[in-house]
Amino acid sequence: MTFILRNMWRRKARTFLTIFGIVVGIFALTVLGGMTARMNQQINGMKSYITDKIEVAPAGSSVRMMGGGMGGVKLLELSKVGEIEKVPGVKGASGMIMVQLKAAEGMSQPQMMIGYEPIAGTSMFNNAKLSVGRELQPGDAGKVLLGSTLATDLNAKVGQPVTLLGKQFQVVGIMDTTLGMTDSWAFVPYQDSLNIFLAQNPYFKAEGLTQGIVVFPKQGVDIEALSSKIQGSVAGIKTTSPKQAEKQISNISTIFSAIILGIAFIALFVGGLSVINTMIMSVSERRREIGLKKAIGATTGTILREYLGEALMIGLVAGACGMLLGLLAIAGLNRATHASNVVIFTVTATVIIGPVIFATVLAGLAGLFPALRAARLNPVDALKEE
Amino acid sequence: MSIVTTSGLKKVYTVGDTTINAVNGLDLAIEKGEFLSIMGPSGSGKTTLLHLLGCLDVPTSGTVSIEGKETGDLKPTALASIRREKIGFIFQEFNLLPVLSAVENVELPLRYQKVKPAERRRRALEALAKVGLSERANNKPGQLSGGESQRVAIARALVTEPALVLADEPTGELDTTNTVRIMDLLRELNEQLDLTVAIVTHDPMVAERTRRIISIRDGKIESDKAA
Repeated sequence: MTFILRNMWRRKARTFLTIFGIVVGIFALTVLGGMTARMNQQINGMKSYITDKIEVAPAGSSVRMMGGGMGGVKLLELSKVGEIEKVPGVKGASGMIMVQLKAAEGMSQPQMMIGYEPIAGTSMFNNAKLSVGRELQPGDAGKVLLGSTLATDLNAKVGQPVTLLGKQFQVVGIMDTTLGMTDSWAFVPYQDSLNIFLAQNPYFKAEGLTQGIVVFPKQGVDIEALSSKIQGSVAGIKTTSPKQAEKQISNISTIFSAIILGIAFIALFVGGLSVINTMIMSVSERRREIGLKKAIGATTGTILREYLGEALMIGLVAGACGMLLGLLAIAGLNRATHASNVVIFTVTATVIIGPVIFATVLAGLAGLFPALRAARLNPVDALKEE
Repeated sequence: MSIVTTSGLKKVYTVGDTTINAVNGLDLAIEKGEFLSIMGPSGSGKTTLLHLLGCLDVPTSGTVSIEGKETGDLKPTALASIRREKIGFIFQEFNLLPVLSAVENVELPLRYQKVKPAERRRRALEALAKVGLSERANNKPGQLSGGESQRVAIARALVTEPALVLADEPTGELDTTNTVRIMDLLRELNEQLDLTVAIVTHDPMVAERTRRIISIRDGKIESDKAA
């Protein structure tokens, strides 16, 4: 250890530059890792929401209702709800109307109002925990269930009124923070949101419209099969089963994972090459010393460990510095967006430990070849070195 | 018992098309407590001989035995172990590690012997005291004069209480005053500790201070006599 640390600092500028090169890569890796962790949180929040229900959108609409915002311009007739409820295995179905409360600002989530018909004996939120109060129930006109972020924004309390789009609602419950999109959503009875929707869109004259339908299966029914069955028996609709929905959501995280992987490869290349270069230089500068050490009894293994240790230490220091800088950046950015209730980054154990391990292993692998060269030096040749 | 014996020792180098018989059939025995010099002109094979005696190099043919044990078939790890336990090296250029203090340099062989830190510090300071450098223990090699550096190197060579100390031109980089001091020190250590010392040199002033002078020419012993 004494050797490793002191040898590292013999060529301060070189060691610093090598470490700096890795730090840049690890910094990027940490920040993007934090972003991905946040994405995954949102995706998982989403997944827990979709696992027990089938979503139905108008045929031909490509955008999923819950995953990607509004269902598009196409609307469904509310009568489809009745048709779907007749399909065996369906416990209940509810029309849905989504109205935007507040557009997304920068990286923040849009605040949405979701109207649906509560069905007795089902949970819209896959039994996600409520922080306080209860879910909506049939006959809850004028009541609202708030996502945690939105509740904070509105300074809402259960039992008290809040005003959404000019209409007063009484808060019946506030959801736990899921870190998903639903945190900034308000859930109201179908008819309430339809009224608001029609007021906003006066050219829709007809009542009995819905943007989408959410279907709850009976207990023990194969939900994937049921999804196909509904698709087959009701015309003009497009169903999305939990599996299909999950696949669509996963595509988003795949893109992020690819970016992370790309950054990792760049870090791998730049960092790895500079460690190899530094270590080869160190070994050739210290050939005599290696010869001396072998002369006084150091084995090949001893020398190998010394030089590998130096490479690992470079990786560890660089990894830790890059990670700490990354965490600082994350903390700063999160603080900057805190006021608008936006969280862009999440710090998990993987975000902290991952980059450090990555950098250490990377430097170790890069240092292996120079260290082997050092360890295999013939002491007589090495001692002759000027 | 002889500390080291060689029998028909040969070392052949091939450089391009030329073969060099650096050591060419050499028989030698060094007894415990001897203080001897190996003299010869440059290229006579004396340094190669020293490397063979110290198990740093392996012979082309013939044998080297350390304390009666033949070293010919030993693997690199076993040779390293002999160097660690039995041999102390002193080099012309001192070869101190610049990142370590004097006492840490002296500790180095003990470190490779896996001696515990407290014990190895005690023994290193003891060795430094023997070469009269106690007060320079914490200085880095860059802060030491040539003579002091070589005394640190001597302390490093004797700290393991080796069977044999091999010195390769130990005074080659020193002025006359320091040469005399280093030779006096080595002789003192030889007498007081019964340390076996073999010095490779081309300097007659060094050789005449030893008790046995072996002259080498063309890889063979030319003469072997008491000084």
